Amino acid sequence: MASERRMASADLWSGLAFALLGGYIVATAWDWEYLGAEGPGPGFFPLWYGIAMLALSLALVVSSLRAPWNPPLVPFQWRAVGRALSVWLALALAVAACNLLGFVVSLALLTYFIVAVMYRRRARTAAAVALALGAGFYAVFPFVLGVALPTGIFGF
Amino acid sequence: MRRTPSTVKAVGCALAAFAGAFAPCHALAQEFRPTQPVQLVVHTGPGGGSDVLARALALMVERERLLPVRIQVLNKPGGAGAVAAAYLAEKKGDQHTLGLFTGVWLTTPLMSVEARITLRDLTPVARLVLEPALIAVRADSPYKSLAEFVAAARNNPGQLKQAGGSITSRDNVVRQQLQKNAEARWTFISFPGGGERIAALLGGHVQMMVIEPEEAGEHIRAGSMRVLAQVSETRLPRFPGVPTLKEAGFDVPVVPQVRGVVAPPEIPGPNVEYWESLFRRLTRTASWRKYVEDNQFQDGFQSAAEVARFYDELTDRMREILKDAGVNIVR
Amino acid sequence: MEVVSGLLSGFALALEPVNLLWCLVGVLLGTLVGILPGLGPPATIAMLLPLTFNMNPAGAIIMLAGIYYGAKYGGSTTSILLNVPGESASVVTCIDGHQLARKGRAGPALGIAAIASFIAGTVGVLGLMLVAPPLAKLALAFSSPEYFALMAFGLSMVVLLAGRSMLKALLAALLGLWIATMGTDLFSATSRFTFGQLELLSGIDFIVVAIGVFALGEVLANMEAREEAHALPVPKGVRKLLPSLQDLKDSRFAFVNGSVVGFFVGVLPGAGSTIASFLSYGLEKAVSRRREQFGSGVIEGVAAPEGANNSETGGALVPLLTLGIPGSATTAILLAALVLWGFKPGPLFIPEHPAMFWGLVASMYIGNVMLLALNLPLVPVFAQVLRLPVYVLYPVIFGVSMVGVYTVSGSMFDLTLLLVFGLLGYLMRKLDYPAAPLILGLVLGAGMERALRQSLMMSEGSLAILASRPISAVLLGFAIVILLVPLFSRINAWRLRALEPR
Repeated sequence: MASERRMASADLWSGLAFALLGGYIVATAWDWEYLGAEGPGPGFFPLWYGIAMLALSLALVVSSLRAPWNPPLVPFQWRAVGRALSVWLALALAVAACNLLGFVVSLALLTYFIVAVMYRRRARTAAAVALALGAGFYAVFPFVLGVALPTGIFGF
Repeated sequence: MRRTPSTVKAVGCALAAFAGAFAPCHALAQEFRPTQPVQLVVHTGPGGGSDVLARALALMVERERLLPVRIQVLNKPGGAGAVAAAYLAEKKGDQHTLGLFTGVWLTTPLMSVEARITLRDLTPVARLVLEPALIAVRADSPYKSLAEFVAAARNNPGQLKQAGGSITSRDNVVRQQLQKNAEARWTFISFPGGGERIAALLGGHVQMMVIEPEEAGEHIRAGSMRVLAQVSETRLPRFPGVPTLKEAGFDVPVVPQVRGVVAPPEIPGPNVEYWESLFRRLTRTASWRKYVEDNQFQDGFQSAAEVARFYDELTDRMREILKDAGVNIVR
Repeated sequence: MEVVSGLLSGFALALEPVNLLWCLVGVLLGTLVGILPGLGPPATIAMLLPLTFNMNPAGAIIMLAGIYYGAKYGGSTTSILLNVPGESASVVTCIDGHQLARKGRAGPALGIAAIASFIAGTVGVLGLMLVAPPLAKLALAFSSPEYFALMAFGLSMVVLLAGRSMLKALLAALLGLWIATMGTDLFSATSRFTFGQLELLSGIDFIVVAIGVFALGEVLANMEAREEAHALPVPKGVRKLLPSLQDLKDSRFAFVNGSVVGFFVGVLPGAGSTIASFLSYGLEKAVSRRREQFGSGVIEGVAAPEGANNSETGGALVPLLTLGIPGSATTAILLAALVLWGFKPGPLFIPEHPAMFWGLVASMYIGNVMLLALNLPLVPVFAQVLRLPVYVLYPVIFGVSMVGVYTVSGSMFDLTLLLVFGLLGYLMRKLDYPAAPLILGLVLGAGMERALRQSLMMSEGSLAILASRPISAVLLGFAIVILLVPLFSRINAWRLRALEPR
């Protein structure tokens, strides 16, 4: 079935990704000392778990190619994934903006985006929530608890 | 970060005291005076060694009214000092930031490519204290002197074990020096925490460790540890019967563990003199001396010029020692 | 009996109004600190230390200890409600706790957490009071080979946390091992997997990974659905918001399990409450009749780890007070605090300062009672947090996560790491990789490697040291058994299938 195939192919890709990572780990650990004069060196542990990662990921790839997987609980829907990734992108922008605009403002902007764009609420609601959250975080953390948050050009 | 009424009063008093008492003595210092709280950067999180010292220092400066402003401790942990050093380097020319450095600020750049900022890139201000250490064994150990331990190690190369910190820590430095001097060899096992090291020693899993006097105090008193020697130039007041390394027969230079103050790069000369004289005054106060004595440090004050020279010598020596220890030196 | 007389004098000290007040302040602060992710007891105690200089020493120690074990109560709150671990040890509580919340049983979960914490916390203090000195001597026999065996035992539990795909669980655990290896190697000063970033020289903080993978990963996954006014159902009526009698019955073994495992793991310097909670959870799952349901919201899956991380505080005070050996960051600061007041923890502490020791013990009993009295009534209040519409709740989770991570080290780099692990958590959810093994690998990985290398240094290269010492041999035996169990059941199933008539 199409959805089963999709999950199996997801396993294939993630298995390959792990195989690549395992290979990278083994290659890097190769350069380090495996067994020193007084005991195992820095390369010992990584080499072994890198090999284990390679072996297991290849087993995963093989199993995904051979048998159809159990039907996944949630079939892959690209639009939904798109929503999640765009929120992640917004979060990344908020983090990047922390040094420029300060934590409070960045969080407020992120909140506005989530409320207005992601959940399609009215601009007024979004603005209200964003302001409330920003003010709340400012009140609780730097003010009451004395926990320093990144500040930007606005001074808070 | 919280402003309390007592702080405001303290600032007011300090301003008055400062103007009245110190004005005649510092014609040069009048060119610089801090006008906002001073950030003292430490490379440990809250509760770590440097953090505790920094907070005590800030408290003493406030009590002795040596500054018109407060000192705030800023924690920049990570990378064994590399993050704090990089932070200070970024604060070029900032007149209200200082850093509390220790030996790791020197060793980390030697062995990590990523740790690009050395103490030479920053402005040395002063050296404050030396931290001596003790060489200890379990109380029922057959070794009654350091010479006995080393001789046993010479006869059984690699079989005796020492618990210590990382391979670049002072514990290993002492070991490298002793090994070279005595042509003996014993194993060094790293444990990340002091508690684990003590547990390893008391449990009989290792035979010897280098321990700080404060840590050892209670165990010695309870009779579970015996001290063979002290890693120091002169005998500590609380350990009058314990020989120094040299007195124990090992003529190796004492590589001290130090704490001192640095400033960001490109600080004007008068600022450095101001800070240097501030710390000189601090180390002469009674509360500082009591603190040093209580914590079993040793006064090691050096001026900015002296500490810069000290730093260069120590770097060269550490480079040698660490190379012998098998550490990959990158700078 | 000297224990009774000591305890009576201890209560006399602890019940003084001033000390009672400080106890209350301490446990309140501790609960708050536990609720807020990132802000942990070590940092809080260190920052409060100068302010306590003018207090009487007994009151100060009572307060600071209150923060220490109070935080363990608070940590479960955000774990259950928001899937954000409030404290490192609360990570395990997220696994079943948040699933219970999703099923509308946040109240019972919070309540069971409080009850388990109380029972285990009290048992921990009992243990401290009764068996401290002899147990401390036993703890000294525990060294690197035993630690390695313990961690291998813990890691073998990954097969219990596996869920559907063993391969994926193992891969997740290996990924955790890799992340644990990042940083400067203690033994050789080599930089491993630091990608040229100096912030990675000291490795990646566990809480950054945990918050990213659990909290952010979950929220991102939830954001896929467009229309969802309320994320989590909150039943009406106080009765539904507290644990039922059935819940208490189901958690019978978990209460014992958590108390015992947590206490003994706490006694070992360096082991830590996260390991204690994982071991307790794994043990509970292993002996449970409904072990396949673990991970989807089983009440004893909350009771066991929550109990373990509370009795661990009692255990951790054993080496601290009887040997002067601090086993963790928090106990190290408590040690500094005690030294500051002139009480030097060590073998002579109890004989020389019995009043202080017994006063502390008594205050811990009182503190646990206070915390139970505080937390249980607050359960319905906290559960109301879930009534917030998702478009308010999720930004709050984002904000709290970011603040939590930022307060750990004050670095923007950690926030970037949070983003990376948030994305990883989301991907793992989509690709059906379980998150618990990743955390397990991360928590145990560094310790396991260190213990192995230390052991081999002690034995000068011979692996036999692991099998020749009784404790490590036994633990390794357990580990092997646990690893082989699924193999047996799989072989069995395969055999049965082969025997079926076609």
